[in-house]
Amino acid sequence: MSFLQVKNLEVTFNLRSRPLKALQDISFDLERGERLGIVGESGAGKSVAAFAILNLISRPGKISAGEVLLDGQDLSKLSSKEMRKIRGNKVAMIFQDPMMTLNPVFTIGDQMIECLKAHRKISTSNAKKIAIQKLKQVQIPSPETRIDQYPHELSGGMKQRIIIAIALLMDPALIIADEPTTALDVTIQAEIMELLLELCKSNHVALILITHDLGVVSHVTQKTLVMYAGRIIEQGPTNEIINDAQHPYTQGLINALPQQTLPGEKLNQIRGTMPSLQDVPKGCAFNPRCDFVLDACTQQRPEFTQSGGCSVACHMVQAMKAAERGQDTDE
Amino acid sequence: MSENTITTTPETASLWQRFNNSHLLQSFKKDKVAIVSFTILMLFIGTAILAPLLAPFDPYDPNTIDIMDSELPPVWQEDSADKFLLGTDAQGRDLLSTILYGMRTSLLIGICAVLLQCFLGIIVGLCAGYFGGRIDSFLMRIADIQLSFSTLMVAIVVLAVFQASFGSELYAKLALFMLILVIGIAEWPQYARTIRASVLAEKHKEYVDAARVMGFRSSRIMLHHILPNTLSPLLVISTVQIANAIISEASLSFLGLGMPVSQPSLGSLISSGFEYIFSGSWWISAIPGIVLVVLVMVINLLGDWLRDVLNPKLYKD
Amino acid sequence: MSNNDSSILQVTSLHKHFDISGDFLDSLHFKGGKLRRKKVHVHAINGVNLEVFKGEALCVVGESGCGKSTVARTIMGLLKPSEGEICFKGQRIDNLSNSQMLPYRRKMQMIFQNPYASLNPRKTITQTLEEPVKFHNPSFSALQIKEKVAEVMLSVGVDPNWGVRFPHEFSGGQRQRISIARALTVEPEFIVADEPISALDVSIQAQVLNLMMDTQQERNLTYLFITHDLAVVEHFATRVAVMYLGTVCELAVTKTLFSAPKHPYTAALMSAIPRLDGKKTSHIKLTGEVPTPINLPSGCVFHGRCPHANERCKVQIPALIHQRDGSQVACHAVEENRI
Repeated sequence: MSFLQVKNLEVTFNLRSRPLKALQDISFDLERGERLGIVGESGAGKSVAAFAILNLISRPGKISAGEVLLDGQDLSKLSSKEMRKIRGNKVAMIFQDPMMTLNPVFTIGDQMIECLKAHRKISTSNAKKIAIQKLKQVQIPSPETRIDQYPHELSGGMKQRIIIAIALLMDPALIIADEPTTALDVTIQAEIMELLLELCKSNHVALILITHDLGVVSHVTQKTLVMYAGRIIEQGPTNEIINDAQHPYTQGLINALPQQTLPGEKLNQIRGTMPSLQDVPKGCAFNPRCDFVLDACTQQRPEFTQSGGCSVACHMVQAMKAAERGQDTDE
Repeated sequence: MSENTITTTPETASLWQRFNNSHLLQSFKKDKVAIVSFTILMLFIGTAILAPLLAPFDPYDPNTIDIMDSELPPVWQEDSADKFLLGTDAQGRDLLSTILYGMRTSLLIGICAVLLQCFLGIIVGLCAGYFGGRIDSFLMRIADIQLSFSTLMVAIVVLAVFQASFGSELYAKLALFMLILVIGIAEWPQYARTIRASVLAEKHKEYVDAARVMGFRSSRIMLHHILPNTLSPLLVISTVQIANAIISEASLSFLGLGMPVSQPSLGSLISSGFEYIFSGSWWISAIPGIVLVVLVMVINLLGDWLRDVLNPKLYKD
Repeated sequence: MSNNDSSILQVTSLHKHFDISGDFLDSLHFKGGKLRRKKVHVHAINGVNLEVFKGEALCVVGESGCGKSTVARTIMGLLKPSEGEICFKGQRIDNLSNSQMLPYRRKMQMIFQNPYASLNPRKTITQTLEEPVKFHNPSFSALQIKEKVAEVMLSVGVDPNWGVRFPHEFSGGQRQRISIARALTVEPEFIVADEPISALDVSIQAQVLNLMMDTQQERNLTYLFITHDLAVVEHFATRVAVMYLGTVCELAVTKTLFSAPKHPYTAALMSAIPRLDGKKTSHIKLTGEVPTPINLPSGCVFHGRCPHANERCKVQIPALIHQRDGSQVACHAVEENRI
């Protein structure tokens, strides 16, 4: 049994106008120490998925179907008291903007000690020792002085390292990182991602990395799933997705990167925009923007097809695979 | 059109359709308190405007007043006269008519005073917020100084001096005007501060930079571009300020410095009837008092609702 | 050597510092027993020299705090330089009054970073686009204004029928197109784009970038493009200026910069770009923290984090020196042939 099993997860928001399905049919597995990337553009539902795993969806949204099994225990059915024991303890989360995540009126030390004390009986001095040790782990220089500083005295890169240190305080088994480097500069981004990768490898911590940056995903993760309009449209080993994407949307995303076109040439764009969740087209949500539309695409939502190591939800891929199998049986 | 073009046709909604579908109307329909408050307020305003048509008597016309009719109780009590629905006051005036006209005066003062406050506050707030630096410091110091004087105290001093210098006859003619002026000038800092805060937030947004890069003059940018975006908080405090202005006027009238007896407002009615409360004619103070309380309450409730509706953080669609 | 005919913008010795000392009362403090007034300045731009030639796309790259946005805003007249000059086609523009600047407003326009704040939320798209047309062409009839607005909307790919709508009814990418349309209403020659695609999704970035490239060809525009995304720069720029803490460290033709970066900062920046090819490029780690623009380091602003810094670097500010391959680098180590 996998460490984390998400089965047919569905999140619905009960709005004034009508209920909105932010996530539908999300299923994936994660082993201990494995690193998964969730890729998609804004509005695809990646952050909602992260919050749903930790049962952090607040009204008017709720988990309307599915299970989130962590070591066999269904997180979506736990009470808030029980969830509090899991959050920050077994599962830690890193958010996007380090400036917002740290409380400006408390010192770094106060915030780290508070986290430790919330989960176990520990004296302040011992907690401080552990905090300093974690700060060293994330390569903060002179942690003994830093621990008494306030967030505004530190740079963005340092703050994000501290947040990683806070995430590691209770030696979690899983870290969920929601766009941890989007707000940071390129050089700092590279350092932070390397740090996160090192720590996950050395401490055997599973990682779910949510991002829109395919370059980061290709370096850090072993598996990737691609989301579009609240659903998974492709998932599989990262190098296969990057080098041999099957779904037209994934291909489009990769081809749209400036690195894929010669300088001065027009970029390969995907026409149109992701539909808002209130206006999802019938059939495959991507069909208005797709160059390979078949009749089935506007009528029926595609099922998952196995192609290589990947699972792809696409009628065209399904048709191609069926044709290949047909050819094989002929031969 | 190039392949870049967005070709899905939009629904061209008319202004009426937009209003119908708007968040404002939808949340109004769902909020019973807002609906009730709005109805009552419209009722008050309607009767105030139509006072000359609705009032059974003209309380300003001395010919219709007979001192023999004084202190008659409302119809549901004994010793009342049928033609005076809510009874009469100490001079023999019909209370219902006087309340209708009085509400007219109160609402007029409330709304006009607030318009004056708004006008002054917008000018000061816009300049302080947009230009910043020394202009901002100077204008805000003046606002601070003004705020340290209590409205009522300033009003009392000004009106008392005016009444003493110019005599009660001239005062009676200009009372309405003076009240609007005094209450209007006393409370502009509220508006100035609110607008300044909004302007400071809007000033840094890129559409203002875009307007500057286009070469538009400062006055144009302040009035055409920034001001419309600062109106939401204005609307909210305006409702509260109208209520406050009505209460201020009522307080002043109660103290004898507001509207003269010949042109009563709700406040002066309460004041003139006060001495009769204990002698049994409670209705002269009590009924206008109830009307005043209800008026101020519905305005405040509407203001609360408006603040919630216009608050973008609570606006979750 | 600048060819005066084709040089459209010259920035000479530009300095810009911001006084953040605060109020008179805020800046007073006790030191050494006496009441002193402390002045704190943010040195955003420290001696920048740039020239933009007609028809090119000059990209200014750097990380946050390097002053690239400040340079853009100073060029457009939103900020006044503390020192230095800005000349448009040889005419000095940084010291002009608002009314004197008007003719230049038609020639130079700007596109901003945040599509959600670039359009006035209380105005319809038509109102936003008609205003500059009316302002700069007072003799236009209502029909001419309408036609002009429809023309720019079509050229950026937005249906003119959508003009009655408000900005919040459009997506980020569409809003950015409308911002571009607004800049085009006055038919400028030169456009400064301050991180126009950073706030957009990847697939939309491609759309908007293509639009900007098409527009450049159709209307013979010159761009000064501010960004931190080196992948976009490699694709879009003709020349690149790399900035660090208010100074230009390297200025070169795109191909040269990407194939042979000379300044240590440029090299570190290049190595940090996550590439899709999965090759683990050895990422050059920079030691130390980014210094703040309030307390500028002495000498070369990069010396604290540079692996090649020597004593001279700590004391003397390097100048931009032309190299044999046409690029310009401000680095003592390069000058001394140490790297």
